[in-house]
Amino acid sequence: MKHLFLFLALSFSLFSKAQNNAFQAGESLTFTAGYNMSGLMTDFAQVTMQTSEVKTSSSTLLRLKCKATTYSKWDNFFKIRDLYESYVNPNTLKPYLYKRDIDEGGHYKFVKYNFNHRTNTVKSLIRKKSKNFESGFWDRNANIKINSGTKDIVTTIYHIRSLDIKKAKVGAIDTFTVLFDGKETKCKFTYVAKETINTAIGSKECYKLRINLINNDALKGNDNLIWLTADENKVPVYAKFKLAVGNGELKIKSATGLKN
Amino acid sequence: MRQLFIILGLISAIFAVILAVLPLSNFAFFPAIAGLLFGILAFLKGRKENKPKHTIQLIFLLTIIALALATYKSITATTEVGNTEQLEQRDQESEENAIEELEDIDFTE
Repeated sequence: MKHLFLFLALSFSLFSKAQNNAFQAGESLTFTAGYNMSGLMTDFAQVTMQTSEVKTSSSTLLRLKCKATTYSKWDNFFKIRDLYESYVNPNTLKPYLYKRDIDEGGHYKFVKYNFNHRTNTVKSLIRKKSKNFESGFWDRNANIKINSGTKDIVTTIYHIRSLDIKKAKVGAIDTFTVLFDGKETKCKFTYVAKETINTAIGSKECYKLRINLINNDALKGNDNLIWLTADENKVPVYAKFKLAVGNGELKIKSATGLKN
Repeated sequence: MRQLFIILGLISAIFAVILAVLPLSNFAFFPAIAGLLFGILAFLKGRKENKPKHTIQLIFLLTIIALALATYKSITATTEVGNTEQLEQRDQESEENAIEELEDIDFTE
């Protein structure tokens, strides 16, 4: 599942920055994650991406949240209940706090990044379940030095949607950096074509983008693609990533609270 | 040759039944069809030599069960999300904790 999010996140970096006209608080996108082999498709999970406003005593932040839940028929075999979230500045989309709380087939992991943009560092906490400790958890704290502009995976997903893709030319390439598993991962992104595809929310003209990871084996080959609607919302409607046998797919099911 | 078809047919048929029972029932069609083909080939070979057909009958029976189950599941299957109560709770708690934590952050950075 983490590859799914990594793929989504890496699918979104574009060439020129723009004001966020793509999304607002209250948006909810629902996807179906599935596995496709020779045209036979098996859906295994629902992925939701939601935005909401969060108020502290001094400011208002945007909460970006991604959730993955396996369908009930899979729960007895491999139950997934993942929560990825990021708290960002609503104007600049700078992340301040990122949390990853995953429960996959009984394997639990919690990751928290506190971003400090003044010193370009991230205070990281990784927590796993362990019987060797009284608290029941094994904690590891670390300070990670990051480059300016490095974002977490969830923020990156939304950040790309805020960029001005329409100004990019077909064949254009860009690289960007995502902090995942305590490491900065560079990713090459190529604008392949403009295509019209049929989705659950209608026939949409889309930007087709290809993703390649640099020095990372999570996504191999040139068949990792994502389609974003070619309108102001830039909704990710379809994503396809190559596996050893067959393809993993992410298809949109519904989209509500869109800004435009 | 007939023995080989019987072995392959039996393996395919058993594999098809296993897949049909699992949530991966859509993929049971591949081994089920392979099982049927191997079964037919073994049957045709055996007919000339007038050999017993019990194992071939078993292959057919298993593939038919697998196909029927996979077809039934593909027609009636609903894609419903399971119980998410715990996840919703984690979600809510996480937001409350985050608000507390974000109180100390200087957003002018």
